[in-house]
Amino acid sequence: MKAAPFEYARAASLSEVCALLATHGDGAKLLAGGQSLVPMMAMRLVRPAWLVDINEIAELKFIAVEKDMARTGACTRQGAVERDHALAARVPLLRQALAWVGHVQTRNRGTIGGSLAHADPCAELPLVAQVLGARMLLRSGTGARTLEAEKFFAGPMATNVRPGECLEEIHWPAWSWRHTGSAFTEISVRHGDFAMVAAAAQVAIDGDGRCVRAAFGLGGVGGTPLAFPKIAGRLVGTRLDDAAVNDAAHAAATETQPGSDLHASAEYRRHLAGVLAARALREARERARSL
Amino acid sequence: MTSFRYIGTKRRAKEHPRFVSGRGRFVADIALPGMKHVALVASPHAAARIVSIKTDAARAAPGVLYVLTGEEFCANTDSLAIGVDAPKVTRFALARGVVRYAGEWVAAVVADSRALAEDAAERVEVEYEPLPHVIDPEAALAPGAPLVHPAHGSNLLYHRKFVWGPVEEAFASAEHRIAFRAVWGRSATVPIETFGVAAQWDAGTGILDIWASIQMPKFPDQAARALRLPGNAVRVHYDVDVGGSYGVKRGIKHTVLVGYLAKKLGVAVRLIEDRLENLRGGDMQGPDRFFDMQVAFGADGVIRAMKIRAVDDVGAYAGRSPFQLGKPVTAICGPYAIGAIEYEPISVMTNKTPQEAVRGFGQSPTNFAIERAIDRAARHLGMDQVELRKRNFIRKDQFPYTIPSGSTYDSGDYHGVLDETLAAIDYGSLVRARDEARRSGRLAGIGISSCLEPSGGNSAFEVLMNPKNENTTWMDSCLVRVDLSGAITGVIGNSSAGQGHESLVSTVLGEILERDPETIRVVRADSLTALPSNSPVGSRMAIMLGGAAAGAAKTIKETLIAIAAHNFECSPEDLEYRDGSVNVKGAPSKEFSWDQLVEIAHRKFHKLPPGIEPGLQAKFVWEVPTGGALPTPEGRIQIYPCYAFEAHVVLVEIDPDTCKPAIRKYLCGHDCGVMINPDIVHGMTYGGIAHGLGAALYEKFAYTEDGQLASGTFMDYLIPSAMEVPAMAIVDHCTPSPLTTFGQKGSGEAGYLGAPAAIANAVNDALAPLGASIDTLPMSHLAIWNAIGARKGAAST
Repeated sequence: MKAAPFEYARAASLSEVCALLATHGDGAKLLAGGQSLVPMMAMRLVRPAWLVDINEIAELKFIAVEKDMARTGACTRQGAVERDHALAARVPLLRQALAWVGHVQTRNRGTIGGSLAHADPCAELPLVAQVLGARMLLRSGTGARTLEAEKFFAGPMATNVRPGECLEEIHWPAWSWRHTGSAFTEISVRHGDFAMVAAAAQVAIDGDGRCVRAAFGLGGVGGTPLAFPKIAGRLVGTRLDDAAVNDAAHAAATETQPGSDLHASAEYRRHLAGVLAARALREARERARSL
Repeated sequence: MTSFRYIGTKRRAKEHPRFVSGRGRFVADIALPGMKHVALVASPHAAARIVSIKTDAARAAPGVLYVLTGEEFCANTDSLAIGVDAPKVTRFALARGVVRYAGEWVAAVVADSRALAEDAAERVEVEYEPLPHVIDPEAALAPGAPLVHPAHGSNLLYHRKFVWGPVEEAFASAEHRIAFRAVWGRSATVPIETFGVAAQWDAGTGILDIWASIQMPKFPDQAARALRLPGNAVRVHYDVDVGGSYGVKRGIKHTVLVGYLAKKLGVAVRLIEDRLENLRGGDMQGPDRFFDMQVAFGADGVIRAMKIRAVDDVGAYAGRSPFQLGKPVTAICGPYAIGAIEYEPISVMTNKTPQEAVRGFGQSPTNFAIERAIDRAARHLGMDQVELRKRNFIRKDQFPYTIPSGSTYDSGDYHGVLDETLAAIDYGSLVRARDEARRSGRLAGIGISSCLEPSGGNSAFEVLMNPKNENTTWMDSCLVRVDLSGAITGVIGNSSAGQGHESLVSTVLGEILERDPETIRVVRADSLTALPSNSPVGSRMAIMLGGAAAGAAKTIKETLIAIAAHNFECSPEDLEYRDGSVNVKGAPSKEFSWDQLVEIAHRKFHKLPPGIEPGLQAKFVWEVPTGGALPTPEGRIQIYPCYAFEAHVVLVEIDPDTCKPAIRKYLCGHDCGVMINPDIVHGMTYGGIAHGLGAALYEKFAYTEDGQLASGTFMDYLIPSAMEVPAMAIVDHCTPSPLTTFGQKGSGEAGYLGAPAAIANAVNDALAPLGASIDTLPMSHLAIWNAIGARKGAAST
């Protein structure tokens, strides 16, 4: 378990990253927190010719809470995001999800952008991005572009980031309704493992308890994390009573096509998808009602 | 009971400061001048013929010194010990001609660094011709199955049916009979430290020095034999800390490989497995076993007879693993007075990673099967599981008690321990908590297990399972030296994987000699200077090393008294020994101090009594109490001498919607006689319960149909973490052993021997209201879902 030979460059700025990526193209891999990349390199499952270390780039590490969104730099540590109270107040789903990501130790090293770019279909942050419709700002030597989460994730461990592009920052939409609640839940065999199935939900209700907006999604049941905007849309106008929630969860679970592995069969995953989606929606509803 | 000064008192383990301050010395800390590193080329096939191996590209890679293949290695070394009588099932560190499991080592690359060795290992080109393989043990026994070792003629390694007592008569006349299959999944102990070994050949002295993270009986002898060296040409250094083992740190194949390379190349060579090599090719996977259980019992719940057919899949090679079916013979009826037992152990080879010793040496799977049988019998009768156990327990007044298979249990108070355990957990309120949970729609269950830990590690299963083997001693020993300054040193001849031998020996020496254990040093000789030892296996060191240390210390004490008697010109009976000084009884001022006696022994021959050697040291070599005999023709034999007892009570809840189990309460009542160091006993018990939790719910070396290990990393081989292991408590009980120096029994396997059974019983109690049950470990979330999911339908709430 020693990595195959590689060259290493520590970039001091985003422009230097872009220059290195332009030079080495496909052969270069960005090193952020390294919590997934380094073990994969040690097992020689990933063999980059160049490793471009972005850990020292200050401009990639920030948290900015704005009126209708929060922005995080791609290399911001998960632990820093988890501990940011202003961010948690505006985009609570992030903190709720991060509690399930690895362990305190790995969150102190792992980054937000690293987790998104790694695109594990079971991972928590990609699911949050998908549910909230996060936007990824990608930078290259020739310019910048923004990808919505649903266009960002291409499949298991795959994104639509082009060679030469670096994830610079992530925009997390914040909902403005006063009664907005969110929840994240998942099942893994052991705490801190990648989820067998994960569910995230966010709902907003008006003063009468009627749903004015709902979003939810599932991880671990497809090649990418899945959001269900159409099904969620049917919840708008309801009081989010258990029957409506269960119907939505069941409908979403039915749409999934999960795979089987050692720890969970497709049938078990689909069952869990329904259970967890309902739990997340109910918990989000209770939070919204409590505000 | 005798009162002790140091034994049984709460004392910090002598080793702790060293480890806590980061001053342990492990194999990875051994840095020899010019040392080279090994990486391995592993077979991707479960079974294949090796057509060719091309090593030129690897040899030409940067930093590479040598590439070794099986052709050369097997021609110049001998097979590792086989254990059972199967001479054609030879075993070498590198495959020659054929590979028999995915992950088997095919070539070894020696280079300046491990990374360079791995780079070069990728350049070794091996051409394989895949052969039919067999993964399932029942398929392996079927006619026409692919043969793992064709020269052996079948995949059956060992098979015998023992009948002890009137089994058929009891079954014919019993009011009730049940039959079921209990399956123990292939799991292991998985220490933080993988196996490591460093070796250096000194051409001047002709000695091969070995530093290895071992826990293995007869290790130096086996290494020397396989390397075709005389025993006195191999020096194993026991002063290497072992970073966890509980059975698996055998590493004999690794050591022969590295020893061969060091001698051949004339350089120091080190191999430290990476995790994948450890899990897949390190030969450390544990028992993989199913039990066809039959129990005959009366309406009164009294068990009349039991039949156990145990099929164990040892993987592709033998080693000591088939013996893991043999040790349970020594406690084959558990703590129960069952008069007739049939036991049919069957050892099978398949194309899986070879099995190695794991904590309990086969006892924990057997306990699991027996305790599932007890639970099922109680359920069958609608009888309380506590009551049924109590009706069958051997009573306190029945000891020593000889079981049908020939072993005599030394002592016990099973009713007492179970009662104390139930009282401590407040069993009545536990039942109410379970029932309350059930009423509110949750799945909840209480599990109990009560089982034995045979201890004092005697390997009489060897003579039972191999008639060509007449090894009837399994001694251990200790050398005690008192130097001119009066300081005491205990010298032992084995390495430690955390069992606390230094605490053990210093406590025992301090107890006998009445000297502060803090001042007593314990060192580890190397294999050329050590007295005989059979290593810390089979829960034996408190008994055997403790007994040997006590024996040597008593000799020292007698010598000191003899010196004083000689100089006072009185009889030893007129003297008393206190804190290391000797005075005339009733005249405390007529005294020789410890320092004075030591000085006489070392310097004043003219004051020594005749027949006493100058200097002050004593050795003691101890044979296992009750050991030494061969089996009867029916296969009755005393194997282990002492029998510790444990009772586990656990409350499990299962989320009915997600099938996720969680342990709500855990209590273990434990009786290992006199505890020499309670912290060490408790530490091992806590760890054993966590280990058992892994075997019960999480850990499995799973194989795909095509023979690949599907759980070769910690992503898939799931060891419980601090988040899964519940808070637990231990209730101590003490029934001294009449066979040992202080009344101690063994406890190194404590917790692990009963936890899987208790958790399995709890899960089954939780599932019972649904009419579901599981008798296969691990009881994964998926397995629980499969057992109940269909019954509940796909309710999504």
